[in-house]
Formats: sequence, structure tokens, C-alpha cells
Amino acid sequence: MFSCRLSTYMVPDKNDVLYGSLGMLVLQTLAAIGPLHGYRLARRIEQISDNQLTLNQGTLYPALLKLQQKEWIAAKWGESETGRRVKIYSLTRSGRKQLESQESRWHRTTGIIDRFFKIPNEA
Amino acid sequence: MSKADRDLDNEIDAHLAEAVEDYVARGLSPQDARHAALRDFGGVTQVKQVHREMRSLNLMNWLDFKLGARMLVKYPGLTVVGGLAMTFAILVGIVIFQFAGLFLYPSLPLPNGDRIVQVTVRDVVENDVEERALFDFMAWRDALATIDNLGASRDAIRTLIVADGDARPVFVAEMSASGFTVADGTPLMGRVLTPDDEQPAAPSVAVIGHDLWHERFAGDPNVLGRTVQLGDDHPTIVGVMREGFGFPVSHELWVPLKTALLDRAPRSGPAVTIFGTLAEGATLETAQAELTTHGRRAAVEQKATHEHLEPRLSGYADMMAMNSSNGSDDMMFMFLIYFFIGMLVVLICGNVGLLLFARAASRESDLIVRTALGASRGRIVSQLFTEALVLGGLAAAVGLALADIFLRNWALTFLETNYGRLPFWWDLALSPAAVAAAVVLTVLAATVAGVMPALKITRGMGDRLKQTTAGAGGLRFGGVWTVVIVAQVAVTVVFPAIVWFENVQLGRMQDFDPGFATEQFLAVQMEQDAPLDSTAKVEAATLERDARMAATLAELRDRIAAQPGVAGVTFAESLPGGEYSERRIELGDDAAEAAARGPEAPAPFRYATVAETDTSYFAVLDAPIVAGRGFNGADAEPTARVAIVDQGFVDHILGGRNPIGQQVRFVRPGNPDGPSEWYSVVGLVGKLDLGVPYRKGPFAGFYLPGTPERFGGTLNLMIRVRGGDPMTLAPQVRGIAAAVDPSLRLVQVQRLNELNAGMLWVIRLWMSVTAVMSSVALLLSLAGLYAVMAFTVSRRTREIGVRVALGGRRQRILMAIFRRPLIQMGLGVLAGISVIVAATVMYPYSDGPGAHESGGLTLANVGMQAGYAALMFGVCLLACVVPTRRALNIEPTVALRTE
Repeated sequence: MFSCRLSTYMVPDKNDVLYGSLGMLVLQTLAAIGPLHGYRLARRIEQISDNQLTLNQGTLYPALLKLQQKEWIAAKWGESETGRRVKIYSLTRSGRKQLESQESRWHRTTGIIDRFFKIPNEA
Repeated sequence: MSKADRDLDNEIDAHLAEAVEDYVARGLSPQDARHAALRDFGGVTQVKQVHREMRSLNLMNWLDFKLGARMLVKYPGLTVVGGLAMTFAILVGIVIFQFAGLFLYPSLPLPNGDRIVQVTVRDVVENDVEERALFDFMAWRDALATIDNLGASRDAIRTLIVADGDARPVFVAEMSASGFTVADGTPLMGRVLTPDDEQPAAPSVAVIGHDLWHERFAGDPNVLGRTVQLGDDHPTIVGVMREGFGFPVSHELWVPLKTALLDRAPRSGPAVTIFGTLAEGATLETAQAELTTHGRRAAVEQKATHEHLEPRLSGYADMMAMNSSNGSDDMMFMFLIYFFIGMLVVLICGNVGLLLFARAASRESDLIVRTALGASRGRIVSQLFTEALVLGGLAAAVGLALADIFLRNWALTFLETNYGRLPFWWDLALSPAAVAAAVVLTVLAATVAGVMPALKITRGMGDRLKQTTAGAGGLRFGGVWTVVIVAQVAVTVVFPAIVWFENVQLGRMQDFDPGFATEQFLAVQMEQDAPLDSTAKVEAATLERDARMAATLAELRDRIAAQPGVAGVTFAESLPGGEYSERRIELGDDAAEAAARGPEAPAPFRYATVAETDTSYFAVLDAPIVAGRGFNGADAEPTARVAIVDQGFVDHILGGRNPIGQQVRFVRPGNPDGPSEWYSVVGLVGKLDLGVPYRKGPFAGFYLPGTPERFGGTLNLMIRVRGGDPMTLAPQVRGIAAAVDPSLRLVQVQRLNELNAGMLWVIRLWMSVTAVMSSVALLLSLAGLYAVMAFTVSRRTREIGVRVALGGRRQRILMAIFRRPLIQMGLGVLAGISVIVAATVMYPYSDGPGAHESGGLTLANVGMQAGYAALMFGVCLLACVVPTRRALNIEPTVALRTE
């Protein structure tokens, strides 16, 4: 199980690989699927990970707040598919830019680590 | 519970409900579904708690205000200095706002005030307003569809004599009856003027203003029906206007504009103001279009007079606005003041920012801890902004109160002294807009003073967080602060110089001695009305007026001289201590010399101050004729051509030669008539000084015998009173003048030694304003410099400790520490002195208040600036010395441990 500790989000540090993971997942999900409310977002993340990532769904809300404060996502009240009044989150322009830079950084980092795993065993 | 809390509750509830619904759909019982949803969610209470904390970390909250208030108490020095500075900045800003509003966004406090318009006629070739527009007014009056209630008015100052013989000038509007409709003029008593009153044969009537009713009629409820004497006319009072009515501008009494009796030829007749209201559905543009059509037609039909004339329409209140032709020099002066004060406001806030930066820097470790606890940069900036806002809010409250006091007590008087009678729509009471402006200014001030240093101090906070030795050399004053320091030193250098210049000016005015006992004289400025209802052309009227003046004067003089206590009566074109004309002259010797040198040789520039006086002038003033003779009766004949000069003339023009018999004439380069006839100097008068008190000499006085008809309708009577206050004679003088000739207007009756009282008042006011500004700038500069220097040096305590520990020489260490501040000081002083030099070069002399005297770069001046620069350096050194001494005296081991 993947758990997200809040403190990870509180001290931004560009060198920390874990930093922004949940945020990045949220941004990517919103980018791919479009505006979503909190529950649907949590479910989508779980579904996309083929249920290998099980969120403690409550942790999503501080993360969403943080992303709002950074103005990477925007929220407005709307209606869910079941007719409930829910807050619907969508990606902002600066969120999209942020996602792009996070994505490339992610690929770079994983690429580097990948090379280490690909070192042929000399023994 | 806050709205954000409620929102989160609702959101979580919706989340759980959606989850429950999902689970139920998958086959769970509602109860199990609820359990599963709660399990997936995790701790609801914890999430809410974390959410709340994160929100409070991000948003400005009341705790910041509380902290801000605590900071005010904790740093009292900064509170006083910074608060005072911001108060001053806001006070100045509000006063500017109110003043600027009068000129930039004037509005009429009348119903539909924005639909009241003024029509002017412009000569596009001469680029000037053609005020003689009665012809055009008559043509438009019934023709214009887009402007209703078109009316005209003509200004006049007339002597109003009420039954008890009290005679004083009043500001009269000869106005179309429609003016009362346009300006919503409902009378307090009686009636307003009607179109019937404008008929030539209609009985003469007048409507009086509220203030006039109180001042001259003691608020008499039976004033209606009373007949008064107004110049040559005897109108009956038919109405009293309500308080505050002053349309067209600031008039006190209204009589009908009897256009039938006036000269209505094109581009002829009296100057009139034309006004009206936009008709229903019309706009400024459509009305202008209609006027333009009429203008074009007139240009064809009256080609001789109207070819270059264009009617223009503008909002009525704009007549006194910036875009009018009203004294561009005054506007320039105002603009300079605004620019100057604006510069000060920005500088002050930058300065307070400097202080707050030093305070924030001293709390750096505190801020770093907050960052560690999760506060974002924005959060820290917002906290520091709030702290500045608390200080600014306090300052704004005090600033508004002071602005109110200032505006109520001095501002209107200041404007009246500068502009004369003020238009009725000028109101300087604090408006809601001004309060809003204060709020904007406060936020602006807090932004400059709080956000700028906060951004500076939070830059790279994350990196500093990682350093084990937080604060060690991390913060530095960068380029922006260098500019602020240099600018503030410059301003601190400039301001006292302005006060000094003003003081010199004031001193010169106060000390000015015209050379006789001015305190014994009553000065009466007189004008004679052009006949009120005259079809004569202006020139004829002027001739008639001048002839009448001459006839009147002899009688007036005899009767005043016969009053007990009067030692003598004389008259002059201008009063001593006032303005005289400066005219270029040529000496008889010059002409001879020029003839010898040939016509191409340039004639020497010689200017004399010319005074035209009655032949009795010197005798009444007790001014001794030290050589030659005084004027006699025959000298007043136009053919006599004699003059008397003063010692200044002998010294500066004649180089000490004997003046008697010298030939002098006036030259006007480019004048086709050539130079004037020669005047022969017959005498030298002692003691008297023809100087202008607010200008620096030298003056060369040249007296010509004058007669009233040569003074152009204005002359000054000087009455010498033996013993006692000359003002006690004023009522008798008014009474005699009214009896001798009711059309004689006593514009001003005052003690001669108080001639410049108004200007002195303005200079004193302006001086106190600049003195306060200087003190604030100085105080703030010193505090700011001290804070910056002490901060910089204390930041380098460790470095000093290391250098001392390594055996560094004291001088070298001091040089290293002092170099930057000294360079900044030097640049600042240089900049300040440059501004002063530029000002003295650009304005070699000027006659306005606050202006600089000629040759401002005197030795004393330079000495003062040098002394002042030395003082600034002293303070700078003090700011550096104290912490440096502390650092130099400290044990290296201890210094190394300091942060």
C-alpha cells in the first residue's frame, strides 16, 4: 500500500523524488480525464493503478488544498453524476505547465535509476 | 464555524455518500457500505484538522494582526518613526488627492451637474478664447436644439452702497435669468431674476447672495424691496439666494443681463460666459456637433470676424480644470509640487520598508522555523504584509484626521490667497473618495513597506533552512536598497535647502524697507467702473472712465485731506513693496557712444524700475530730495518729460555719476515707433527703495510724474495718518469715496505695511509644510540609515571576529566595513547637491513662493550644504561605529559564536 504523508508536501524540495507524487497523480488524472470531484478522483487514481495504489482517501483533501493554494488546480461547486452537490476540481493552465515539468523530471529520475538496474551483473 | 469549515464538511459528506452508494451498488448493506466508506477515507477528524491548519498557514488571519500589533509594542522606536513617516505619507497623499480632485475631476454639486455645459468660442489661429461672444450667444439662444436654458453672464465688480453709507465692492454677475434654472437656484426669500427683468425698460432689480445678505444687511428679514446703490445704478432687491449658491462661479449679487443695451456686434462688446444644460437625449458629442455646424455657418456668413472662430463645448466645472487655459504657470507650479510630494511618498514607504526589513532580518531565525513548520513563502510574505498593514492602518487613521484638520483650517485659505475667489463647487471637506484613497494608499504603503522586504528576506529561505548556521551572511542589502539609501540621502540633502531658500525669501520680504514709515499709511486701491449700461465701444468707455477718474480724484483728495489726523494724501500707479514695471532704458551718453561706434554695435542692457507717482509723492512720504529738485505741478504735464531717480539708479546705472541733467529714454526692441522721447533727470531722492521684496536686487528706481488718466483705470491712494492705526480712517474713506463718485470702487483698503500679508502667509504656510517634510525626511533618513548600517555591520560581526583573530589591522577592517555605506552616502549627497545646483541654474530667480533666489550658489549656501553633508556623514559613521566598536572589542571566540 502506498501511503502519503502530509509532511512530504509541506517542505517542497526539488531533490526529493517522493515529493509531489500524489500531487502529480492528481494533476495527471485531471489532465487525462478532465474535471472530477474528490471521491471520483480518488477512485480513478485507484482504478488507473489497477487497485495497486490504495489511497487513504481523506489524505486527498489536504493534497487538493495544497494544489489549489499553488493555483495548479481550481475548484468550484457543481453536481455529481448522482445529483449531489460536490466540489469539482479542474486543472489550471499553470497546473498543466507544472505537470509537464514534473513529468519530464520524473522520466529523467526513473531513467537514471533504471540504468542502475540494468547494470549487467559482472559476478 | 467558518465557511471554509462548512464547505469541507459538505465536501466530505458528499464524498462519503458517493462511496456508500458505490458500495451499496456492489451489494453491501447500507450499514456495511458506510463502514467501508469510512475505512477507505481514514480519520475524518484528522483530515479536517490538517485541512484547517493548512488553510490558516496560507491565509492572512487575525493572528497576524495580533502579531502585528504586538510588534508595534515590541519595537516602539520603529513604531514611532515608521508610523510617523507613514502618517505623513498618507496625510500628504490625501491632501494631494483632494487638491488634484479640484483640478482634475471637478464636478458640480448640483442635480444634473454633469449635464451643465459651458460654450466657449476659440480663435483657432490665435489659439485663444474669444470672450466677446455676445453676438454668438444671441444667435444660438433660440437656435440650439441640443442645449437648453442657454444663458450668458458677465462678471463685474461694483461698489455696493447700502442705506447706512457702507460702501464696498461686490462680485456681481449680470446674468441671464436661465442661469437660475441651470444651477437649480431656488431663492431663500423673494424671487430670482426672470426674462422680463432683462427688458431694456424693466425696472432695475437685484438678487443678493446668502453671505452678502448676512454681511451687509445683517440678515435683515425685510430686505426685499430695499433699494441699494450699485455703482451708478439703484436696483431694488427682489430675492435672497440660499446658502452656497454662487453660480456662475462665486458671485455675490445678480442683476439681469440686459443684452439689448449692450454692444452685440460680432467680436465686440463685453466678455461673457455662456452656459446651458444638455437637452434631453443630447450628449456632449451631439451638442458639439450642432455647435460646430453653427460655427461653420457663421464662418461663412460673418467671414470678416468669424472665419477662424470655433465654438467649443465643455463640462461646466472644467472651466477651472487642468485642461482650461487658466494660468499654465500656476498649473506647472502645482504639478511640480505634486511631483515633489509624490517622490517623497514613495521614498517614505521605501524607507519604512528598510526599517521593516531590518526588523524582519532580526527575526530571521523565527521565520526560518516557521518555514520548517510548513509555512510557504507566500505565507511569510503575507504575515509581514499584515504587520506593515497594522502599522499603516494606525498611520492612516492619524493621517486622515490630520488631513481633515489641515484641509479645514488652511487649505481653502491657501487656495483663496493664490486664486482669489473660489468657485462654489470647490469643496475640500474629506470625501468618501478621499477615505477610499486613504485605504488604497495604506495598502500601497503596506505593500511597499511590507511586501518588498518580505520578498527579499524570504528569497532562498529553503536553502538557508538547510544550513546549520542559519543567518550567517545569508542576507544582504542589494541594489534596490542601495538606490533607496542613495535617494533618501539625496532628499535629506535637498529638503533643508528648500527650507533655507524659503527662509531667505521670507526674511527678505519681512526685512524689506521701502525707506519710509509705511506703518503710518493707509493704502487704498481704487478702480473705476466702466459704465454699466453703455452701448459705447470699449475704447470710448475707457476714455470716459479715465476722464472721470481725474475729475473725481481732486475732490476725493481734498476731502480726505480735510479729515482730522490726515497728514497727507498722495497717489501712485503702484504701491511701494508691490510690483513695478521694469523697462529697458538708454542713457543720453549711450546714444552718443553708439553714434560713435556705429549703428551695429549692441546697446548696453540697462533696466530701470519705473514708478509713476503724483507730484506730491515725495513730500507726503517725507523722502528727502538730496540733489536737484522735487516734482512740481507743471511736471505732470505730458510735455514736461522730467524724472527723479534714486540712489540705486545712480549706483547701478550711472556708476556713481551725477544724475542731474542726465537724459534717459525707454527703448523697446522691435517696437516700430522706436524709442520714447528723452526724459531729463531733475532730482535724486534719498532713502526710498523701489525694490520688490520677494526679488533680489539690484533695483534702479526711476520716478515719473503721473496723472490719473495715465494709470489705466487703477490707482493707489496713499493716505498718511498722524498717530494711531491708519485703519481707523477706512470707514471715512469709504464714505467719502461713495459720496464723491459711486462708480469709484475701493478694491482694497489696507495698512500699507500689510501689503504683502497674503503672500507672506502663503510663504509661511509653505515653509512650515516643507519644514515638516524636511524633519520627517531627516528623521526617517537617520533612522533608516542607522538601521541599515547597524544591520550590515552586525551581520559581519563574525567576519570581523575572524579578521581580528587572524591579526587583521583595524584600519583595514574598518575600511572593509565602511566602504559600501560611505560610497552610498557620497552618491546620495552628490545627487542631492546636483538637484540643488540644477534648480538654482534652472530658476535663477522667480517671484513665486517657494522659489529660489538668484545666484543660489553663494558661498554661504555651499557652506551650509557642506556642513549638512558632514552631518549626514557623521550620522552614517555613528551608525557604523557603534556596532563596529562592539565587534572590534569582542573576543574572537565570542564573535565566532554570534549568528
